[in-house]
Amino acid sequence: MSQCNLGEPWRVQMDADVRVAADRHANLRVIFKDAQNSSLTQRAQVEELVEQGVDVIIISPKEAAPLTRPVAEAYQRGIPVIILDRQVQGDQYTTFIGADNVRIGREAGKWIRETLGGQGKIVELKGLMTSTPGQDRNRGFLEGLELDGNPGLEIVFSGEMQWLEPNARGEMESALATNDEIDVVYAHNDPGAHGAWLAARAAGREEEIQFVGIDALPHEGQQYVQQGILDATFLYPTGGEEAIDLALAILRGEEVPKHVVLGTRLFTGETVAEGGRPIR
Amino acid sequence: MGTEWGSRLRQWWSTPVARALLALLLMIAIGFVFSADGAFFRWSVHRDMLRQVSVFGILACGMTVVIISAGIDLSVSSLLALAAVTFAWLTMPHGWPALAAIPVVLAVGAVLGSISGVLVARMRIQPFIVTLAMMVFGRGLAKVISGGRKITNYVTDADGSSQVVDLPEIFGIIDSRVLWGNLSIVTIIFLACVLITWIVLSRLRLGRHIYAVGGNMEAARLSGVPVRLTLITAYALSGFFAAVAGICQAAQETHGDPETGMAYELDAIAMVVIGGTSLAGGKGSVILTLIGVLTIGYLQKILSLNAAPEATRLMLTGAIIICAVLFQRERE
Repeated sequence: MSQCNLGEPWRVQMDADVRVAADRHANLRVIFKDAQNSSLTQRAQVEELVEQGVDVIIISPKEAAPLTRPVAEAYQRGIPVIILDRQVQGDQYTTFIGADNVRIGREAGKWIRETLGGQGKIVELKGLMTSTPGQDRNRGFLEGLELDGNPGLEIVFSGEMQWLEPNARGEMESALATNDEIDVVYAHNDPGAHGAWLAARAAGREEEIQFVGIDALPHEGQQYVQQGILDATFLYPTGGEEAIDLALAILRGEEVPKHVVLGTRLFTGETVAEGGRPIR
Repeated sequence: MGTEWGSRLRQWWSTPVARALLALLLMIAIGFVFSADGAFFRWSVHRDMLRQVSVFGILACGMTVVIISAGIDLSVSSLLALAAVTFAWLTMPHGWPALAAIPVVLAVGAVLGSISGVLVARMRIQPFIVTLAMMVFGRGLAKVISGGRKITNYVTDADGSSQVVDLPEIFGIIDSRVLWGNLSIVTIIFLACVLITWIVLSRLRLGRHIYAVGGNMEAARLSGVPVRLTLITAYALSGFFAAVAGICQAAQETHGDPETGMAYELDAIAMVVIGGTSLAGGKGSVILTLIGVLTIGYLQKILSLNAAPEATRLMLTGAIIICAVLFQRERE
């Protein structure tokens, strides 16, 4: 298992998911490597894994271009390669597993539209808009809201918090200062939603606003929902468990799909205890 | 009579404080024009701006001291994260009382800062290199202590079971407001740091030594200034203030995040420079930094209130830093 950066909590979770799934099978041994956010390190680690003669490589690449060749070389030497989250170029790999940020954003938009009954004022706190996840979570959200068909819905404030909680809090303070009425805050990640909640609480307005986030990490978003801070969060799945399932299928000699798109799960006050409600 | 006043005004106008103040007033005037439907005229907006800028301002206090000594401290953002993590770690999973945890955290900041100081003063390594190394080291240490994840009030016990403990009272106290909700505690902490820095720089012999070392290290040495001790103290102060900022950051985030405060050192340096303190050392004051902090704080608040896109914000911030520095220099 070659991980591009264990500095990110979500990627720590991905490794944990792989570990938990693998531990269910006594005949599996997983070697974990952390490339510490360097494509060249990750490239070397893939080459090491090939030399070690592993049966399957699971890799969550840092970047597509520099890792395409080492992955292709491993694949051509007959080692199945499962790619997680980020793509490589071409088709020289066994299977790709990834989540769809547009779809998750769309589900969040749909949930907010339905919860508000087509009537309400919305604040959107966006991630880094130069990043693909930020753009996708924004695009899907707008699709899910269906503003054209719901004239009662209005995005009254839209700020960029760059995935960072302190920034989200500052942006939310601005939103609160310029809007006397806010019904829902949609943040592109859970820390952003938490920062917004802190700002609303400082203004004494947290009760009148619903907070929706994305990612639903067990120790983060799910906890916030459990504590009643967030009203909803949507899982951005790591695919760690699915990777082990597919690895076993490959080892059994079964045909596996080239492209697997993961669904999401909705965590609300009612569903958080049972591990969220799967969506499709 | 009139000419006397005129010349006095001209004299005052040529001081750095006057020029920095003018830049700040200009910024506030821009806020009046782009008031976001009058939101800028409400005190709560200014109160929130002051809250948001306080952590940066606390870092900028230490940065001012180091920059006047002709150095730079890139490690403040990492020491902030380290302090935030240590503070959360001591108070939440370990249940330390705040009065015990705070001195320990402040000491950690001061000790790491003084290690930078020793490397600069005794080993004669450039401050940029030393504090760059400390920046990387401090971030790593924060990740080690936290195990790479946020330390929250969701605590895992030794037997593996997890539970939510009450957020320590101190978090709520630091992240609250006084004067009938009109001033954040973190802002008061920031102003206290400004006061401490002002006393150090303007009232203590140490302050004179810092200016002397920053102005001309060789001359300072020849005139009997304890150069090494002065430099070590300057970096220790910066580390101390970074720890103060870290405690404030943890309290405001309600957890200790090892990733927090990324690149804050650049904001702190920008605030010092916009105020008019020269990176060459030997000149400047914390009052200038206070004005610089407010100038950047208002800039960010005005852009945020008007929901300016991030790209615009970055470009405007860059342009305004250059304008402010040119403005400072023109009349020198």
